[in-house]
Amino acid sequence: MKKLVLLCLFVLGLGFSLLSFKGLAQQGEFNSIILDFKEEVPIATISDEIKGLSDKYNQQVNLNSVFSISDRIYIVEGDKKTLKELKKSPLNKDTEYIEANYLYHALEVPNDPEYSKQWNFRNINLEKAWDETKGGGITVAVIDTGVSKVPDLKLTKFVKGYDFVNDKDDAGDDQGHGTHVAGTIAQSTNNGYGVAGIAYESNIMPLKVLAASGGGTIADIAEAIKFAADNGADVINMSLGGGGASSMMEEAIKYAHNKGVVIVAAAGNENRNASSYPARYPDVISVSAIDSAGAKAPYSNFGAAVDISAPGGSETGKIIQNTVDPRTGESVFVGFQGTSMAAPHVAGVAALIRATGIDSPDQVRDILKQSSRKVQEDSLNHFGSGYLDAGAAVELALKGKITFNDFFRWLRKSGYLNLGFWIDGGAVALLPKLGMVIGSYLLAWFLRNYLPFTLGLNGGLIFGSSGLFFLQGLYWFDLPQWPMRLAGSSIPELGNVVLGNSSLNPLFASVLIPLGLIILLIGNPRLKWFAIGSSIGVAACLAVTAFTEPNLWLFGTGLFAQGYLLINACLCVGLAYIASQKETQRA
Amino acid sequence: MIKMKVIGKIEKKGFGFGVWTLVTDDNTTYELKDCPPELEQEGIKVEIEGKIREDVMTMAMIGKVLEVQSHEIL
Repeated sequence: MKKLVLLCLFVLGLGFSLLSFKGLAQQGEFNSIILDFKEEVPIATISDEIKGLSDKYNQQVNLNSVFSISDRIYIVEGDKKTLKELKKSPLNKDTEYIEANYLYHALEVPNDPEYSKQWNFRNINLEKAWDETKGGGITVAVIDTGVSKVPDLKLTKFVKGYDFVNDKDDAGDDQGHGTHVAGTIAQSTNNGYGVAGIAYESNIMPLKVLAASGGGTIADIAEAIKFAADNGADVINMSLGGGGASSMMEEAIKYAHNKGVVIVAAAGNENRNASSYPARYPDVISVSAIDSAGAKAPYSNFGAAVDISAPGGSETGKIIQNTVDPRTGESVFVGFQGTSMAAPHVAGVAALIRATGIDSPDQVRDILKQSSRKVQEDSLNHFGSGYLDAGAAVELALKGKITFNDFFRWLRKSGYLNLGFWIDGGAVALLPKLGMVIGSYLLAWFLRNYLPFTLGLNGGLIFGSSGLFFLQGLYWFDLPQWPMRLAGSSIPELGNVVLGNSSLNPLFASVLIPLGLIILLIGNPRLKWFAIGSSIGVAACLAVTAFTEPNLWLFGTGLFAQGYLLINACLCVGLAYIASQKETQRA
Repeated sequence: MIKMKVIGKIEKKGFGFGVWTLVTDDNTTYELKDCPPELEQEGIKVEIEGKIREDVMTMAMIGKVLEVQSHEIL
């Protein structure tokens, strides 16, 4: 058992050292090489050498840019082999440096040509969220004027919807509003055409409840909500509102909410101090609108029931999507404004959150609100919890989860995708390498997810149970060994450092030091956890030692030593328990 | 449903492809349901008789929905 524990810790320890080993972490990709010629080299020589290079590698060797003329920076296409050759060539003496022109991977930026006009997506920090999910497998019901399959929705997935206005299956759009809203949620993206959408791998369920006039009855809308809940929608977007409270509507919303559907609605465009219905119902996430500068959009409702704000645009900058022009029936890219546009931003991000595996609508709402960027001065509740932040929301949703994406990204960032790393050392080294990589990933993951909150507890655990044991194995010729032994010792072993032998000192291998630490540190909210961690760590160390090699100074290796260690282990657990209880009560 | 007579100016509001509304002197906005084509002129003063539709929701969300039954351009 002790061996297993030690092995696990050893793997983690190796992970530590690997993480800090820069050589592995900094191997990037490149397909060109930078040559920086020295100032004193005459232009004629440079041009001869460049010509030589062009001939040798059969390519045009160019300046990096017009700004490189005075810096004398040239770019040669090539790989590792070319880089080696160049470094060995006579060129080396004429240059300041010859180095790889590393490629920098930006965040996920789609290739839709009009994407640059979508300020609203940068406003909600969407690219960071796309690194994790695009909403695949999630269905968003768009309860609106219908949705037409305009060209930039061609690659978007649709599920069965319904037209409640004309009572038919085909829920096409004769108004232009619903198609625009659906575009914000799931416009076909990375298709080299038009604009992008937020959760573009999700399914759209088109539900038409508003006629060509833009209005529809509460009865139709309530039925559509139930239809969505019964047909597998995960998120409902309602960019509509008005009228008064209605028990039919409220009941439909409760029904969908109880079935686990996230319901998002627009706060309304009257610039008044309350959300419209249905946004005003407690189970609905009410979205107010901001303009491109982050101010409340002039039309947006605010105050009562507003949960969060998102880009709705204004005359100074609108939300552009692909829709149908009802006058001509043609596809158009057009900018709209309104809380109608803000709501689908939140619905799209809700779909991204659901795609990470969060199912409860209340949890989705909490994540949306907690991750939003707070607005300092907001006495009238213009913004609810703050500005929608897709990247932060998805990050919060994934906190504590190990995902393939995360692991892969970490591999790439740490340079482990390099084939050389795996081949060097042959097949024998493969298994330990795999262990090291997985171990260090788990460690990195653990630190990232939990360290900021439990630094003290973990530090204490390590100090109490094993110490930085891997340091014990380090050996530097000529250096005294005791500092390493000291740092590599757990609390119970500290006595050995003093005595210089392998039997445990009964004073150190007891509840005394943890007790002292807790008495000293209990008043400090952070350090207290270090003391609690030490106590648990010492308990673990004593208990393991009691069963494996109970060897106490003066007391020998018999039953007495074993009993002494076990009793002290129990006392340490009790001590840690009492100290942590005090904490909970106070909190 | 409440029947009422309202006097105000016709205004087209910029939500979606545009919505016809009636804005009264005290700045109350009514969204016009079934707005007759002859009323679709920016800035004209009219008197409209109609019903407030509490059972209707819209994509414009700019005020109460007034279903036009009769009208007079002033």
